[in-house]
Amino acid sequence: MRKTATPVVKRSLPSWILSSNLKLQALLLLVILVTVFARVLPLEMQKRIVNEAIRFGEIQMLFLYCGYYLAAVVVATGLKYLISALQNLIGERALADMRKALYHHILTLPLNFFRKTQPGLVVASLVTELASAGNFVGMAIGVPVASILTLFAFAGYLIWLNPLLALISLSIYPMVLILLPRLQHQANKANKRRVDTTRTLSGKIGEAISGIHEIHGNGSYRIENRRYDKMIDKLYKIRIIWNLYKFSVKSVNNFFNNLSPFLVFIVGGYLAIKGRLDLGALVAFISAQEKVYDPWKELVEFYQVYQDASVRYRRTMEYFDELPEHALEPDDREPYELEGSIEVKDLSFLAEGGIQLLDGINLSLKPGQQLALVGFSGSGKSTLAQCVGQLYKYTGGHVLLGGEEVADLSKKDMINNIGFVSQTPFTFEGTIKDNILYSCASRLDSDEIGESDAMPSLDDMIEALQQTGIFVDVLRFGLNTILVYDEHQDLASKIVRVRDHFKREFGEELGDYVEFFAEDNYLYHSNIAANLTFGSPNLESFTLQNLAVNDYFLRFLDKADLTRPLLTLGAELCRQTVDILGNLPPEKVFFEQSPIRAEELDEYKMLATRLAKTKLHHLSPDDRTGLLRLALRFIPGIHKMVGMPSILEELILEGRALFKENISRDDPGAVTFYQASEYIYSQTILDNIFFGKTKTVNPQAEEKIDQSIIQVLIEEDLLETIVEIGMEFQVGSKGDRLSGGQRQKLAIARVFLKAPRVLIMDEATSALDNKSQARIQSLLDTRWKGQSTLIAVVHRLDIIKSYDKIAVMKAGRIGEMGTYDDLIAKEGMLYELIYGKKTSI
Amino acid sequence: MNSSMEKRQASDTSEFQENLEILRRMDFFSALSLQALKVFAYLFTRKIFKPGDYLFHQDDNDGNAFYILSGTAEVVRKDESGEFSLDKYGEGEFLGGLALLGDMRRLFSLKALTDMTCLVMSREKFTKAIEQFPDLMPRVLETMVDRIRSWEERLFIDKDKLCDTCKKKVGVSLI
Repeated sequence: MRKTATPVVKRSLPSWILSSNLKLQALLLLVILVTVFARVLPLEMQKRIVNEAIRFGEIQMLFLYCGYYLAAVVVATGLKYLISALQNLIGERALADMRKALYHHILTLPLNFFRKTQPGLVVASLVTELASAGNFVGMAIGVPVASILTLFAFAGYLIWLNPLLALISLSIYPMVLILLPRLQHQANKANKRRVDTTRTLSGKIGEAISGIHEIHGNGSYRIENRRYDKMIDKLYKIRIIWNLYKFSVKSVNNFFNNLSPFLVFIVGGYLAIKGRLDLGALVAFISAQEKVYDPWKELVEFYQVYQDASVRYRRTMEYFDELPEHALEPDDREPYELEGSIEVKDLSFLAEGGIQLLDGINLSLKPGQQLALVGFSGSGKSTLAQCVGQLYKYTGGHVLLGGEEVADLSKKDMINNIGFVSQTPFTFEGTIKDNILYSCASRLDSDEIGESDAMPSLDDMIEALQQTGIFVDVLRFGLNTILVYDEHQDLASKIVRVRDHFKREFGEELGDYVEFFAEDNYLYHSNIAANLTFGSPNLESFTLQNLAVNDYFLRFLDKADLTRPLLTLGAELCRQTVDILGNLPPEKVFFEQSPIRAEELDEYKMLATRLAKTKLHHLSPDDRTGLLRLALRFIPGIHKMVGMPSILEELILEGRALFKENISRDDPGAVTFYQASEYIYSQTILDNIFFGKTKTVNPQAEEKIDQSIIQVLIEEDLLETIVEIGMEFQVGSKGDRLSGGQRQKLAIARVFLKAPRVLIMDEATSALDNKSQARIQSLLDTRWKGQSTLIAVVHRLDIIKSYDKIAVMKAGRIGEMGTYDDLIAKEGMLYELIYGKKTSI
Repeated sequence: MNSSMEKRQASDTSEFQENLEILRRMDFFSALSLQALKVFAYLFTRKIFKPGDYLFHQDDNDGNAFYILSGTAEVVRKDESGEFSLDKYGEGEFLGGLALLGDMRRLFSLKALTDMTCLVMSREKFTKAIEQFPDLMPRVLETMVDRIRSWEERLFIDKDKLCDTCKKKVGVSLI
């Protein structure tokens, strides 16, 4: 944001007209002028048709005038469309600009602002409330100019036709002009209240949705419903009043407009009877007078849009009318590259409501020194870290970073020098790679020097993944990828090589954890379809989803005597699964062991009801397909609600041989059989390396498997390739496909990659397991000590021994500060935190 | 599930049904309705441990609860002075109910002495499931409180065997 620009929240609604595309606006004006002319012309033609052509029986002239009339109508229609199109273009562009500018502004607002603002409200403001303002900007020049010009043109034409009649019929408009604004004023008042209530409402909805766990946990549906219903009822009343006023504006307007022909008929009729007005002129007058109504109506509508838009616009902008606490970029200098020293002098922070969160804090750190902040929750340790990180603007004292006052630094200065890891880091939708590059990308993006080479290399990223201990997870994501034939043939052939290597080296050791694809054995960790075909499909019609409707396969099932037993199994699966999961929400935990997918549950629920009433052989073909599909998906090793009937197992093994015989004869290309020499494109990379499926195992077994896989991949020089594939893993919205620990590790990796001079970690490892926490701590002790100044808010007291300084906080003050040994020897507050009160034993 | 359905079970019983039978006999889950029990029986997964494998490690916040179907495990604690073993658990015992209820770092490790099969429930699954039956939480808490109380009560049955320092440290039920 340049310093000279007015912040978006201070801009008036009309200012957007000026900043809209003025060339388009000028074009619009031109088109409108032509249109006005094209609108008046038919009236004159109408008069001439009656007075000249019809009266004197001039056929030629009738055709000529009618031709003009038609041409004018066609042109007017075309132009009208062009006008709407131009208005739409201008309006939507202005709306897009407004939405962008406001969003850019909102993101820079201080954190405090967001404490009292629900996300729903921001959404509503950006999405709904500004729409009418954009609409207004599109209309702002075209509509009033067009309407007023048309109005004057018609009025002038009326006066030219008959001054007396014209004056009488136009006399109503001044009256309308007096009445309308009064009614509109009432409508505006209601509108303001409507905007405010809608705002509270969206806040309320946002709150309920984000607190849905609490609501379910407490069963407080009624309480929440009552609160919501109350607000809706209020909104309902306000909207009714608002709409009634809006309608009354329209009605009053209509009434007066309908009154004016009445005046014309009375006066004009009298004049015509007395012979002082010819009939053609009266017809023309009446049509012209009717047409005055159109531009007038448009003008009134425009007035209403303007009123509505300015109320909503002002209300919205007022709400966000706060200034960012810090400039985004320095005005008159390059961003600082600061030394990593930190000096805190007499720092205090007074939160709203006069609560003293920090009081008289003094501390100083030399570049590369490490400080641990400990203390009870609520003692202010996070607040202190956030004040140093400029996330909160302290209210008294000084924080000097490399000798510069933090309060005066721009955001750009801060992100160039500081890395901040919060307690609940946010993961953004996208890939793992997007997320670990987030800090670096943000730092480089605003740099005007083209420093794209400065982005971390693959090696850097892999190192950061290893340091934070998420490497194996990412490797797993890579290993669980299903390769696409067209893109990865090269890699696929390498993996077949890995398969041999793995089998040689670990086949025996890990045999217990893996079920290898073996032609004579039933595969308990593969589905029935795979057990029957013992291969991966090459044709669309042989995929798992399509097998149940594949005629060839169905005939085969009949021949192998499998149709009936599979339907029975499908029915059993359907009944049991619906019985267990029938009323549960579509969450991953509930459905990962279910053959029915969350989105299919309703369908199978109905099928289960029909099953209870109908014999299997009376079911409709669709239902049979549904059951068969379920049976073909059944994996005994995962879907535990039904046992695998041993008789079926034997039938399937016999079926497998029969299928191989048949398909090799009838359609050899349909399926590629599992062979130790071929890559299987329907399976993940991991299953391909194993040439089998992992059984459900305990964490240690998983570790053993990981280690051996890593060893083999290193030897085959494929580890980086697989990790690179893993880094393309989509983490889901808010990172919901990752665990809490994985999200924290990503956030730390993000900051490690950026390698800032000052590192602030606010309980950054709280969700990590012991090993990962220890690993990261030892990295801080060795690699980062002396490199980056560190302020760490620490919850666990067993990892603080190596810090240069430990500050124990209590009630917003530093109670004691020193090295671990000194403080323990002192038997003061730290001692008490670790060992409990001495007197209590 | 109605009785006519029960008759139509497949010949081999499923793990789910075995789990359900076990859960019905367990203290911790005794307060649950049949529908809730079914969901929990479904969510418990079987895991196998070999001798020397750890069910959980000291200081970890794994959040798992274990029901031992077969085998024996040993409680081990490590500190500056080294590793020492404390107690043994075996078939039919349920461990870690408290870890399901909230964050808890393990004070010791649990190590398999023999081949073991356990039913394992994670805190994530438990929390998601209990959310679906909000009226159950108070009853689960009640069971938990009762277990803690009776645990300490049992301590006093052999109060003569309690060491002197131990006597001064009793009072779990006073938390």
